[in-house]
Amino acid sequence: MALTLDPTSTPTQALTPAPRRRTRGTRRDPSVMIIVAIIVVVLVLLLGLPMSKLVMAAFSAEGIAVFTGMFTNPANLRVVGNTMLLGLLVGVCGTLVGFLFAFAQVRLKFRGKRLLHLLALVPVVAPPFAVATATITLFGRSGVITSSLLGINTDVYGLGGLVFVLTLSFSPVAYMNLKGMLENLDPSLDEAASDLGASKARIFFTVTLPMLAPGIAGSFLLLFVEGIADLANPLVLGGDYTVLSTRAYIAVTGEFNVQAGAAYSILLIVPALLVFLVQRYWTGKKQVTSVTGKPSGRAELITAPTLRIPVLVLVSAWVAVTITVYATVVAGGFLKVPGVNNEFTLDHFRFVLAGIGSKAMLDTTVMALIAAPTAGVLGMLIAWLVVRKLGRFAGVLDFVGMLGLAVPGTVLGIGYAVAFLVPTEIFGVQILPPLAGGAAAFGGGLAIVMVFITRSLPPGQRAGVAALAQINPAIDEASTSLGASGATTFRKVTLPLIHSAFATGITLATARAMTTLSPIVFLTTPGIKIMTSQILAEVDAGRFGNAFAYCALLVTIVLAIIGLINLLLRKVVFRGLLRH
Amino acid sequence: MVSSVTDTTIPAAAAGISDIDAARLTLRGVSKRYSADPTVAAAVESIDLDIEPGEFVTLLGPSGCGKTSTLRMIAGFETLTEGAINLDGVDISATPPNRRPMSMVFQSYALFPHLSVRDNVSYGLKLKKISASRIAEDVDGILAIMNLSGLADRAPHQLSGGQQQRVALARALVMRPKVLLFDEPLSNLDAKLRVQMRHEIRLLQRRLGITSIFVTHDQDEAMTMSDRIVVMSKGRIEQVGAPSEVYRRPASMFVADFIGRANFLDAEVEAIHGDGTATAAVLGDSLRVPAHPDVVVGDTAQLLVRPESVHLSTGAAEKSERATGDVGRVLNTVFYGSTVEYEIETDSGNLIASVSDPVAADVLDLQSVAHVRVESDRAWLLPDRE
Amino acid sequence: MRSHVMTTAAALGATALVLAGCSSSSSSDSGGGGGSLTVLCTVQEDQCQQVMDTFSAEAGITARYVRMSAGEAVARMNASKANPEFDVVYGGGADNHVASAEYGLLEPYVSPNADVIPDEFKDPDGLWTGIYWGMFGFCANTDVLEQIGADVPESWSDLLDPVFDGNVAMAHPATSGTAYQAMWSQVELNDGDQDAALEYLGDLHSNILQYTKSGSGPGQMAGRGEIAVGLVFAHDCVKFINEGFTNLQTVYPEEGATFEVGAVSLIKDAAHPDAAKQFIDWALTPVAQEIGVATGNFQVPTNPDAEVTDDMVDRGDVAVLTYDIAEAGAARDELTKRFDAEIAPQPKE
Repeated sequence: MALTLDPTSTPTQALTPAPRRRTRGTRRDPSVMIIVAIIVVVLVLLLGLPMSKLVMAAFSAEGIAVFTGMFTNPANLRVVGNTMLLGLLVGVCGTLVGFLFAFAQVRLKFRGKRLLHLLALVPVVAPPFAVATATITLFGRSGVITSSLLGINTDVYGLGGLVFVLTLSFSPVAYMNLKGMLENLDPSLDEAASDLGASKARIFFTVTLPMLAPGIAGSFLLLFVEGIADLANPLVLGGDYTVLSTRAYIAVTGEFNVQAGAAYSILLIVPALLVFLVQRYWTGKKQVTSVTGKPSGRAELITAPTLRIPVLVLVSAWVAVTITVYATVVAGGFLKVPGVNNEFTLDHFRFVLAGIGSKAMLDTTVMALIAAPTAGVLGMLIAWLVVRKLGRFAGVLDFVGMLGLAVPGTVLGIGYAVAFLVPTEIFGVQILPPLAGGAAAFGGGLAIVMVFITRSLPPGQRAGVAALAQINPAIDEASTSLGASGATTFRKVTLPLIHSAFATGITLATARAMTTLSPIVFLTTPGIKIMTSQILAEVDAGRFGNAFAYCALLVTIVLAIIGLINLLLRKVVFRGLLRH
Repeated sequence: MVSSVTDTTIPAAAAGISDIDAARLTLRGVSKRYSADPTVAAAVESIDLDIEPGEFVTLLGPSGCGKTSTLRMIAGFETLTEGAINLDGVDISATPPNRRPMSMVFQSYALFPHLSVRDNVSYGLKLKKISASRIAEDVDGILAIMNLSGLADRAPHQLSGGQQQRVALARALVMRPKVLLFDEPLSNLDAKLRVQMRHEIRLLQRRLGITSIFVTHDQDEAMTMSDRIVVMSKGRIEQVGAPSEVYRRPASMFVADFIGRANFLDAEVEAIHGDGTATAAVLGDSLRVPAHPDVVVGDTAQLLVRPESVHLSTGAAEKSERATGDVGRVLNTVFYGSTVEYEIETDSGNLIASVSDPVAADVLDLQSVAHVRVESDRAWLLPDRE
Repeated sequence: MRSHVMTTAAALGATALVLAGCSSSSSSDSGGGGGSLTVLCTVQEDQCQQVMDTFSAEAGITARYVRMSAGEAVARMNASKANPEFDVVYGGGADNHVASAEYGLLEPYVSPNADVIPDEFKDPDGLWTGIYWGMFGFCANTDVLEQIGADVPESWSDLLDPVFDGNVAMAHPATSGTAYQAMWSQVELNDGDQDAALEYLGDLHSNILQYTKSGSGPGQMAGRGEIAVGLVFAHDCVKFINEGFTNLQTVYPEEGATFEVGAVSLIKDAAHPDAAKQFIDWALTPVAQEIGVATGNFQVPTNPDAEVTDDMVDRGDVAVLTYDIAEAGAARDELTKRFDAEIAPQPKE
C-alpha cells in the first residue's frame, strides 16, 4: 500500500499515522529556543501582565468585599446563577444547531451545499449588537415580525432573546468543529457495523455519536464560555437578566469601582478556565480520527426522506431566520427609523461615512490589518512549538495562548486598562511607557492592537495545532536530516503544509479583531476611533439606523480584508508551490 | 513498469557522488534511558559497535529491541544517556542532527508533499548554499541513476510507492552523506516490490561504497542485504556477525529462533573437545557436534537443527556418531512451492522439516510415519538460555 | 520565495505603520499651531465633534476628545489618576462630577465667565460649572397608550396605575444618572425620606418591564412602541421626537421632578491646564452652549444669554424640585445599593 501525501487537502484529512515520538531527551535547537523566548515575552506582555495586574486589583480591599459578598448577597448569587444558566443554554442550543448543519452538510444528499456552508458561516463576521439590535427590531414588542406580522406580544429582552442571539452568533463555531469531525470519521467503521447487522439508526447512535462525543463536548464547552463571556449582547438585550459580564461593566462604569469589576471578572474567568482544562483533558484522551491512516473512501450520502426532510426543514428554517436577521442589519441602515419609520434615507450612511465614521473605519481597519497577520503568525508559531518542539511545556504554552479566548473580553479590557494606562514598572524601574489611553505612544493604538492580537490568537492557534497534529513528524525530521535548522524547517516545510490553516487563522483573526468590543470600551483614546465602540454609542443613543449602517460597513470591510488576505497568501506568499 | 538501477547506466555524475570517503562509525557504551527510574529497563543498554567504512550493517530485532532508538541516536534525533558515538574518530555525540554528515531514509519516505520530486531532492543542497548550476547537475545525476528523470516535475502523491522510495533515497544520496541511515524503509511496500528494492538498494550501496546502517525487523531483508547483522533484543546486542555466521552459529537461542526457523532438541553435554565441537547425548545417541564456546559439561544444552537439516526417510536411519534420528508421525504439511514443510510429531517433541524440490509423489501424507535423521555437522549446540 | 515573503511583509508593515502614525497624528495636524487639549466628552458624539471643532477654530488650540458615558468617564479618570490622559471633562450630570471630586480627580477653577451662571448650576468651590440643565420627565408613546386604553400619565402617582403593568421602563439607578434622578425626585418629594422614596419605587416595580442599562434606553423603547412610558430626561424625549419617533409625547409630572445639571470640570494634574481653562471659559459662553441645539440636543443652556428654543423646557411651565446636588451625590451609593437589594430582585406581580 503506497502512501500518498496530498499537500492541499484540508486539514481535516489525516495524512499518515503519526507515531508519538518521545520528545524527552531530544536535542534543543538554538533557533527554536530563541523563538520560544520571543513568544514567551510576547505572551507575558499580551496576557501575563494585564492578568496579574487584574488579579492584584481583584484582591484589593474592594475586590475582596465582592468575593465575600458573593455568598451573602443574594443579588450576586443570582447573577452567577443567571450566567451559568445562560452559558448552559447557549452551549446546548448552539451545539445542536451546529450539529444539525454539520450533519446536513456532510451526510445528507442535497443541492446547494456550498451555499449552505457560506450561510452557516455568516455570523462569524457579524459585529456585536448587529444581531441583538436586529432582533429587537424584528422580534421585539413592536417588532416587525412579532407585532406587525404575527400580532403576538413577545418580550425579547432577557434570557430567551439572549439565548437566541448568542446561539445565532456562535453556532458557526460548533458547525465548523463538528463538520471537521464528521468528515474525518472513517466510513469503514460504519461499514463494519453494518456488516455485523446494525441498522443505520443503530450505527448512528452506537458508532457515530460516541466517536463524535469529544467534538460535541468540545463545542458545548466552547459555546458555554463564549456565552458567559459576551458583553455586547447582554448590554443591549439583557433587560433585567443581569450576568457577570454586565455586572462587571456596571461596577466599573456605574459604580466607578474598578476593583469590584475586577473581582466579578475573576469570577468569570474561573468557569471559563475550568471549561478549557476539562476540554483539553478530554480531547487529549480520545482519538477520534482513525488511527490506521487515511480513511478509505467517504460515507454514502443519505437520501432517505424520513431523515432528509425533517433535518433539511429545520436547517432551512434556521437559515431563513439568519438571513432575515442579517438582511435587517443591511436594510436597516437605509431606513429612517428602522421598524418605526421605514422611509428610505441615505442620512445614516452619510453620517457614518463622514467625519468620525470614516476615521473610525480607517483606524479600525489599519489596526486590524496590523493585528491579524501578527496573530496569525504567532498562532502558527505557538502551534508549531506546541505540537512539535516542546515536550512538557507544550501544554502550558498551548493553554496560555488560548487564554485570549478563555478570558472574557470585559476582563481583558479591565486588565489592560489597569496595566497599561500607566507606565509598567518593576521594582520602581520603568520598563514600559503607558501603552493605552490618550497619553500613550501611537495615541494609545498599541494597547488596542495588542488586545486585537490577544483576542485573535486562539482561533489561529487551534487551527494550526489541528493541522500540525496531522502531519507526520518524520517530515520535520527529514528536513533536519538534510541539514535544516528548526526555524528553517518551519519556514520551508511546515508553513507551506499548513498554509490553509494559516489562512483560516488569519481570516478568523481579522473577523475577531474588527468585531471585538468588550475590551475596547475601556481603551478608547482621542486619537483613535474604533468602529465597534462607535456602534455602541449609536445603539445607546437609540439611533439604530446609524448603528445598522455602521454594521453593514463593518461587515463589508471585514469581508474585503479577508478576501484580500487570502488572495495575498495564495498569490504572493505561497506562490511557486505545487497546486493540485 | 518499474525499471531498476543497472550498473551500466551510471553516468559521470555518479563518479562525483561516489568519491565519498567511506566513514568509520563507532559506538562505545551507548545507552538510552527514557525514565530516570532505575527499575525501568533502558531502551538501549551499553552498545558497543564498530562499523567499517563502506559496510552495510543491519540492526535486526523484534519491536522494542532498541534498534530504532539506536539508529535515532546515531542520526542525532535522540540524545545519548551514556556513551559516545564517533565518526571517523571524531566524537559527534553532541552534534545536532542537522550538522551531522548523515542522511536518513524514513519508513514513510517523508517526502515534502508540497515540493516536486526535483525540489525534494535538491532541498538539502539548497541549504548548503551551493551554486544553482552545481545543484542542478547533482540532482539530474542522481535522478538519472535512480531512473527518475522523467518524473522530476511530478508531485510525490503522483508517484507509486516504489518511486517515492527511490525519491527518498535520491534525496538522501545527493547529499553525499558519510553515513546512510535506513529506518525500515521497505515496510510499506508490497512483497514483490520489497524484494526488488532490496536488490536495488544493495547494488547502489555497493557501487557507491557509503557506510550504511539499516534497521528492520524482517530477517529476510537483513540476511539478503547485509555485510553484517546486529541482532538486538531488549536493548542489548545479542550477536554481531555475517549473515551466514549468524544463521549457522547463532550466539543464543533467541538469535537462533529469530533468524530462520529452529528446531531445538534437548541434549546432555558429555564432553567438550578443543576444536569447537562437543559430544552430547541427543535422541538417545551420542553425537559429536559443533558447539558454542559457553557450553559446559554436565549441563543440559539445546541442539539447534534447522528444518532444512532435518532429513526424512521412509526407513529407519542408521545411527552413528555423525547422525541420529527418531521416528514420528506427520502432523501437518505446508506446501510452499519450492519447498514443503512437515511438522513431525516425535517422542522428543515436534520437529519441523523442510524438503526442497519435492517431487509430488514423494510428498508425505498426513498421519503417515516418517523417520527423521539429523546429521551432526548440520547441528549446533547451544547453552540452554534465552 | 523567501525574498517575496520578506518584501511583502516589509511593505505591509511599513504601510501599516505609516497609516497608524498618520491617523493618530492627523488631528494634531489640523488646526492652528497654538497647543493642544484633550477632552473627556460625555454628551452625544456629534455634539462632541462640533464642540471641539468650534473651539479649535476659535481658540487656535487643537482639541481632541474621547466620548464615553458619564459613568465610564469617572471610572476612566480614576484608572489613569496617576497619569491623567485628559485635561477637561465636558458634560455629564453634576453628580458624576461630585463623585469625581470625591475621588480627588478634579481641580477647582472658577472661570470669569461663571459669574453669569446661576448659583444653583455651579459648585461653590469651582469644582464644576454647569453648562446645561434638563428636566426629568416621562416620554409616552401615544399609540401604545391607545392600545392599552390608558390616558397620558400626568403625575408620578398616575404611573402606579395597574393599566401600565409591564409598560413602563426606567434605567437602572446604578448605571445611569438619569434613573438616579427619578430616585432622588422621590426623595425630594418625600421631604428627604429615603424609605418613602424606595417604597414608591417598590410600588412602581410591578409596572416596570425592565431597568435599562443606558439612560436614554427607556425613551428608545417608548419610541419603538415596546412600552407606553419611559422615564427619561425630557430633552431626550424631544430629541427622539425630532429624530422621527413621531408618536412620542413629552410629559412633566405634576408633582414635580428634579433636574440634572451638565457640567464641565478641570481635571487635576492636567497636561494642558491653560488650554483647559480656556476651554472651560469658552464652554460657558452662549456660543458654546448653543451648539447643543444645533446637534439636536435640547438641554437648556445655563448661560442666561444663550438662546432658548421652543423645544426646550420652559422653567415657568413646570414644577421643578430644587435639591442639593452635593447631598444627592453623597447619598447615591447607599441608595442604589438598597435599591439593588430591596427592590430590583422582587418578583413583578
